[in-house]
Amino acid sequence: MATERAGTWLPEAGKLELGSCCGPRMLSPERLALTDYEYLAQRHVLTYMEDAVCQLLENKEDISQYGIARFFTEYFNSVCQGTHILFREFSFIQATPHNRASFLRAFWRCFRTVGKNGDLLTMKEYHCLLQLLCPDFPLELTQKAARIVLMDDAMDCLMSFSDFLFAFQIQFYYSEFLESVAAIYQDLLSGKNPNTVIVPTSSSGQHRQRPALGEASMLEGVEASLFYQCLENLCDRHKYSCPPPALVKEVLSNVQRLTFYGFLVALSKHHGINQALGALPDKGDLMHDPAMDEELERLVVRSRLHRTSRQHRAQEPGTFGFHRRDKLEAPERVPSASAPTPSPYRWEPRE
Amino acid sequence: MKTTTSSLSAFGDSSIQTPSKSRIRQGCHSAGPNVSGDHINLVSSSMPSFPILQRSSEEKILYSDRLTLERQKLTVCPIIDGEEHLRLLNFQHNFITRIQNISNLQRLIFLDLYDNQIEEISGLSTLRSLRVLLLGKNRIKKISNLENLKSLDVLDLHGNQISKIENVSHLCDLRVLNLARNLLSHVDNLNGLDSLTELNLRHNQITFVRDVDNLPCLQRLFLSFNNISTFESVCCLADSTSLSDITFDGNPIAQESWYKHTILQNMMQLRQLDMKRITEEERRMASVIAKKEEEKKRESQKQSLLKEKKRLTINNVARKWDLQQHRVTSIAANQDRKDSDSPSQDPCQVDGSTISAFPEETGSLDSALSNALQGLSVTDTHLVEVDGDTLSLYGSGALESLDRNWSVQTAGMVTTVSFTFIEFDEIVQVLPKLKIKFPNSLHLKFKETNLVMLQQFNALAQLRRIDQLTIDPQGNPVVSFTLWKYYVLFRLSHFSMQKINGTEVTQNDMIMAERLFGILAHVASSELPQYRLISILGDARKKQFRYLLETKGKKPGVVSEENNDSKRLVGENTNRATLNYTTRDFYNEKLEEIKEKKKFCKMYIEDLVKEATEINMKNEALQKLWPQMFIELVRDAVIEIRNKSSYMKLCLQQITDQK
Repeated sequence: MATERAGTWLPEAGKLELGSCCGPRMLSPERLALTDYEYLAQRHVLTYMEDAVCQLLENKEDISQYGIARFFTEYFNSVCQGTHILFREFSFIQATPHNRASFLRAFWRCFRTVGKNGDLLTMKEYHCLLQLLCPDFPLELTQKAARIVLMDDAMDCLMSFSDFLFAFQIQFYYSEFLESVAAIYQDLLSGKNPNTVIVPTSSSGQHRQRPALGEASMLEGVEASLFYQCLENLCDRHKYSCPPPALVKEVLSNVQRLTFYGFLVALSKHHGINQALGALPDKGDLMHDPAMDEELERLVVRSRLHRTSRQHRAQEPGTFGFHRRDKLEAPERVPSASAPTPSPYRWEPRE
Repeated sequence: MKTTTSSLSAFGDSSIQTPSKSRIRQGCHSAGPNVSGDHINLVSSSMPSFPILQRSSEEKILYSDRLTLERQKLTVCPIIDGEEHLRLLNFQHNFITRIQNISNLQRLIFLDLYDNQIEEISGLSTLRSLRVLLLGKNRIKKISNLENLKSLDVLDLHGNQISKIENVSHLCDLRVLNLARNLLSHVDNLNGLDSLTELNLRHNQITFVRDVDNLPCLQRLFLSFNNISTFESVCCLADSTSLSDITFDGNPIAQESWYKHTILQNMMQLRQLDMKRITEEERRMASVIAKKEEEKKRESQKQSLLKEKKRLTINNVARKWDLQQHRVTSIAANQDRKDSDSPSQDPCQVDGSTISAFPEETGSLDSALSNALQGLSVTDTHLVEVDGDTLSLYGSGALESLDRNWSVQTAGMVTTVSFTFIEFDEIVQVLPKLKIKFPNSLHLKFKETNLVMLQQFNALAQLRRIDQLTIDPQGNPVVSFTLWKYYVLFRLSHFSMQKINGTEVTQNDMIMAERLFGILAHVASSELPQYRLISILGDARKKQFRYLLETKGKKPGVVSEENNDSKRLVGENTNRATLNYTTRDFYNEKLEEIKEKKKFCKMYIEDLVKEATEINMKNEALQKLWPQMFIELVRDAVIEIRNKSSYMKLCLQQITDQK
């Protein structure tokens, strides 16, 4: 579960000392070639630091009770484990690739059961699920992800969990990259590149969802090799994360022409890219998480026990006089305004 | 000659019973019967159709003023010569088709043509002294040609085919008018009959009666066996002060439950109804019942008025809602309804039955229903209604009503709360108030409340208890999701809900819900860092949670029996307590507030980084320079010590300098 992206250094109390740890990688030439700020920016160190301090400020009353050192420990542990993004705002989740990957993973873990159940959901419903983890997640991203699955068709269609998840992964993790790709595609489509060679299209490539339209006069999409050249240039100069160029080449080498969404679908289904990302397991193992399943079983059993025991307990009044009411009984006395708001669990007998 | 009594019942003067010794010989057919009795001879005249009547002079002297020709099989009226003094003429039970040949009998007072075949009233224009005209059981279709009969006292037209009362207005001496067994469908045109005492209209098809109050002397009115079904159709009777005797039996109205007391109540002047004397007791009962009915009618009017108001209000709220939701793009310019802000509200009244609370209205509620409705202008923008055990709120303004002083009894009885045309986010903010003011509310209903996210259900967790939840698909897109019910069951599992949208919640549903979302709860509780848990849960749960976390082992895999118990005690759903819902506005507000802090943090970190990089630079510089510096230090030291004596002198010098 741990990713290689976060640093493995441990913060000292209060102040960071860079370069205080040693290890062969720390003194590698590429790393030392960067200036301080470049290094920090590349590793997104400052993002986490700023966020940590911000969280500290927000919750200072609570945190001051058990110590700042412990807070920082917890914080960076959670960053390592990928739980720091739970219920955070979208701007934070989007901030670093590690955050995005963690979010994807969290989404997978939390809602894998939905997929396992076999339910097909609409784009809106998936968006709802996303919002459960991130309240202000934007709808456009989900829509774009749905478009990949549905090939820009009938946006109200139902999608399976795995289809959606992999498409969403590509869309979310590489969103800036995809925007640039879209621009390139449009350019190529309108023929701005003088090197465009019109080649009659072949039938559907293995990565496409549906067969290419119009074999006669309508030529769909752009030529794959040309496309790849542009993408290669993009990857080189792009400061945002991109899929490994070698894998992109692999995707594009199998077909002669392809559309934008065809390309995205191919990306989303490519195992290598998924593994390179490292957030989600392979498609075959998507529903597999034995540790969680065990935990789930425990929860289910406990809830079942609880429900039956509550039904038993409901027959006698609780220690505070609150018990299951049916219509025949006298209404409960309305508490006066001065009385403290009763806690909802008041009726549970305490030991 | 025998004369039977005419079919009249009450008749002013002497009845006509003139027993006669003579017999009637049966004769018979054709144009002129040739009856020759001892005293009467009907011989054919010069005119082939009309027989001439002759009586013996004896008869003439004995019965000089009366002549009876009943059952003579007459088909025409015979010519009666030399009987100018005749005052009574009886043609009963013949086959006469036209009244003729009697114009010369100008002294005639009594003319009886009962049971003939007369089709038209005619030939009477010279009989100015006529007082009794009996035309019953004929085939008369129209009342006409009675202009000159101004002295008429009794007019009997029963058993004919008359369909309209007309041409009788000049009969100001008429006392009895019998129109029974005709084809009358209504009664009007009765003016001018200033002496009429008795009007017999039995066995017709009358549906309404008018103008009877124009009959100043009318005492008896017989309307049996007609088609009267409401009192309104005979309401003029109430205005007739002279009426004392009336019959309605055989009418549909007589079958009604309210018949007797309505008639009695409206016609206080009556003495007999349906041929039975009216007792004081009956009158008293009638007035009591009538009062009660009036009460009830007023009450029901009031109710329907209130209902109408309610409906209009709800329509208004619905329209506002639609506008708000941008569903209705054009605002109707000409409306006869004014929208104004809701003015001050009436305090709620408890009377056990329907209570409605409306804002003060300018129109009065006491006026008749139709008037009041016309005067209604819809001023309400929201509606609050308590109906037994249901509290209904329409429109966002209604939420303020939760602040009112509800009586303990009313508030205690409410078990269902229904929200319509209100944004869910607004409802969320008043849920704490709802919890306090209506502690027994077990069933929540939402319609047109803009429930769009599963997350919004998290807000319901703060309530005390929910047994039933109804989310109407109209206006709540969340219902179109496949998983919404399971999510509700999962998040609100501590309520152990019985029903969602009317369907029972089964054990399987609960298990499925747990299966689908259990991991979410687990992640939300056990994988969040503690400081986040605490900040999300807030102070109230802090202690509970600390207790929980302290007893729970750090390794998630090891769960001892004791921990199970403790967890169960404190409340199952602490593991999903972190799933909260903050309304969009609040959330954005919070994010805004955080911006300041973020800026500060950024600056602070930047400063730290600057410092750190400076130190790093210095460190690196030191690393680079250090060997050289070290060599120089060593070299300086060695050079210094080279000459022992001068070094000793130098040291001593340094020591003395220090002092």
